[in-house]
Amino acid sequence: MAGVAIERPTPTLAESLRLIRGQAASYRGIWSWIATVDHKRIGVLYGVTAFMFFLMGGIEALVLRLQLANPNGGIVDPDQFNRLFTMHGTTMVFLVVMPLSAAFFNLLVPIMIGARDVAFPRLNAFSYWVFLSGGLLMSASFFTGNPGGTIFEGRLGAPDGGWFGYAPLTLDQFSQGTGIDYWALGLLILGVSSMAGGFNFAVTIINMRAPGMTLFRMPLFVWMTLVTSFLIIFAMPVITVALFQLLFDRLFSGNFFNVAAGGTPLLWQHMFWLFGHPEVYILILPAMGIVSEILPTFSRKPLFGYPFVVFSGVAIAFMSWGVWAHHMYTTGLGSIANSAFGISTILIAIPTGIKIFNWLGTLWGGSISLRTPLLFAAGFIAMFTIGGLTGVMHSIVPSDYQQQDTYFVVAHFHQVLFGGAILALFGGIYYWFPKFTGRMLSERLGQLNFWGMFIGFNVTFQPMMVLGLLGMPRRIASYDEGLGWGIWNMIATVGAFMIAASVLVFIVNVVLTMRRQADASADPWNARTLEWSIPSPPPPYNFAEVPQVKALDDFWHQKYVETEHGSPVPVVAGGAEAGGEDEGHDGHGIHLPSPSYWPLIAALGPSVMALGFIYDYALLGVGAVILLFGIFGWALEPEAE
Amino acid sequence: MRPSGRLLRLALALAAMVALALLFAGCNAFGGDQNTFAPEGDVAKQQRDLFLVVLWPAIVVLCIVVAALVYILVRYRRRSEDDPIPEQIHGNTRLELAWTIAPAALLIGITVPVVMGIIELGRDADEDALQVHVIAQRFNWIFEYPEITTPDGELLRTTDGVLHIPIDREIAVDLTGLDVIHSFWVPKLAGKQDAVPGRTNSMWFNATRPGVYAGQCAEFCGIGHSDMKFSVEAHTEEEFQAWVDEQLEGAPAP
Repeated sequence: MAGVAIERPTPTLAESLRLIRGQAASYRGIWSWIATVDHKRIGVLYGVTAFMFFLMGGIEALVLRLQLANPNGGIVDPDQFNRLFTMHGTTMVFLVVMPLSAAFFNLLVPIMIGARDVAFPRLNAFSYWVFLSGGLLMSASFFTGNPGGTIFEGRLGAPDGGWFGYAPLTLDQFSQGTGIDYWALGLLILGVSSMAGGFNFAVTIINMRAPGMTLFRMPLFVWMTLVTSFLIIFAMPVITVALFQLLFDRLFSGNFFNVAAGGTPLLWQHMFWLFGHPEVYILILPAMGIVSEILPTFSRKPLFGYPFVVFSGVAIAFMSWGVWAHHMYTTGLGSIANSAFGISTILIAIPTGIKIFNWLGTLWGGSISLRTPLLFAAGFIAMFTIGGLTGVMHSIVPSDYQQQDTYFVVAHFHQVLFGGAILALFGGIYYWFPKFTGRMLSERLGQLNFWGMFIGFNVTFQPMMVLGLLGMPRRIASYDEGLGWGIWNMIATVGAFMIAASVLVFIVNVVLTMRRQADASADPWNARTLEWSIPSPPPPYNFAEVPQVKALDDFWHQKYVETEHGSPVPVVAGGAEAGGEDEGHDGHGIHLPSPSYWPLIAALGPSVMALGFIYDYALLGVGAVILLFGIFGWALEPEAE
Repeated sequence: MRPSGRLLRLALALAAMVALALLFAGCNAFGGDQNTFAPEGDVAKQQRDLFLVVLWPAIVVLCIVVAALVYILVRYRRRSEDDPIPEQIHGNTRLELAWTIAPAALLIGITVPVVMGIIELGRDADEDALQVHVIAQRFNWIFEYPEITTPDGELLRTTDGVLHIPIDREIAVDLTGLDVIHSFWVPKLAGKQDAVPGRTNSMWFNATRPGVYAGQCAEFCGIGHSDMKFSVEAHTEEEFQAWVDEQLEGAPAP
């Protein structure tokens, strides 16, 4: 009858939650992102978040470079400068390069090995949400003010002990305020995220490869993920212990690093670098994996010396545990220790060289397409060679007594982390963008992006090698006239803005591309590995049928057979078609992990607990309750509706 | 691309590398008071020379790798999408051995001068060396002469950030920090050693020419780190003795 409103009963909590899960499972709406356990979505979340932090770290760098462009700066004061460089380093290492690598692990590993998802999908989501919450916690420290005043008075609360946080400087008597606490607790939280990811990917790779995919038929990127995962598993506990010791000293009057009570400052350095050196290989091995995937596709030849590239990666991982004190040559360890670590550091150059020669061997005799992904990979080879060689120069211990703590070191690690890792990661973005979004990024903008970034990078960091040799120390907020440093610093600042412009080009490229139709084919590059055999973007279940793997680069062998001379010819029509077998398959009958919001709930717990340590122990209890509540819900939730 | 175009690219790559090398070599033309390429002490000279021993082979290796990369990218460029798929070469064990063993031999060879340099720089100073204590604190330097006592029984010490030394005599330095870790660095005379609280590190160095040499703290120590500068003033032996006498005369009467 007209005018009578029919009352609909409000849904119960249980019904709402079921509705949310249902919506999430349909891959529509905000809940499908919040409750996702799909590795492809988690990969996108990691990538976008890491990119936001990249912009934040980049802006911090631009302010630093503005300050240092001229003698006696005048842009920021030493206190602000110290907090900015601390956050720049911490952000770029822990909130950018590691999560971007995690993004690639997430997006690629399951579809490269022919699996539905990772071994522990909810743990995977938990890793991401913990990373986001830890990263936000650390970044929030900017706004908390410091003993000198509030944020409104220009006093930043961010940590100011450097990204390496040497004791005793970071003890509470020398670093008052909460900055270092945010740093230490934030890193502990990020460590949880990394550990969870390390276990998840190691288990996935060991257990979930498609039938026929032996370890030596895995794509090289998967090998690098496996090696990196083990490095993470063994390295994170070391820094966890160091951070616990630092927090005990700061918050509970511990004396691990307090000299007056018998503590040892050098203990911090040993522990930090025992973690820190494997950490830098954690940062570079995934990038090397990406390069090892791009080069074969764009030269239409297999990776040259695949077993040697695998073994050199494994060798680097093992040897990385034996070189840590090369960060400590000037701390007075003595001639025997310095000689031992000098020799081990010189030797770790050998497996790195092997990779570079094998990459050149891959390109040699190929049919090379000079598209954007290949340019980034080639840029990596050149830049990493310089980075590796300057690393050898640092291992010349007597000369390192001059180079240590100067801009020569700053040049070296930016060479390998930016010229190396970042270039490779960008190359990976251009390469796999069509796979995950169904759209090819603009090639013209891509070339502009690459050349701007490559030239800008060199203009920024090569002058720093000169500055180091001219005696400019690191971590100084300003310098005097007359030391010959002004011109090189100015050039470096100009370069930094060139890099910023190239990043803008990248953003424009992504935005314009996402507005276009998703019409990329499954295999736009004529590639070699399994992920290119499924549609772009892949369906939620990845593979309609579990692939039966018969060789390394199995997808390539489905497309081409080799004649007796070794020349490949395309398989006659009727063989496997990329993506064809999925058409019309609506996914019924394939069991997928159910979406879940419990990982997000659980992930909030640690950050609230961290705030409890900093501000009020009541929050510690609240955070613990949230964490336990999240874990219980996680453990007890029904598997599927 | 025509062969001459390829060659041009190659030549450009090599030329760029040569330019870089010249830049490094010409560094002291641009340098100031902390230029490690214009050493005025035996330790800094050894350090620069050892660096050059490695720098030149490194530049050669870089040139080879970059030239090879540029050459390969140009020579094997895909001209059209109809180009045939190249031969699928998987590897070459002999090449692998060659490019593992050759660099390994070069690198192991380098360890010899490195260890020798470590031992030479890490040895105790000569018997007739001048003893100096360097004490670092936030944010200035204290220099003490344990062998020189003022009339009122104290060790001679300066707190104005100038370390006076004689030339041509080794200086035996004992370093420590009072609060956080600092680092004692006079680039033109020697590399740095850290001043760590709770321990005493030692180093030796000398100056071979009279002059004032700039120094700076080289371990991040907080808000005053950028300003924690000092200098080393090297005198002839007579002038140094004169300075010492002046200090001892000027000491307050007991």
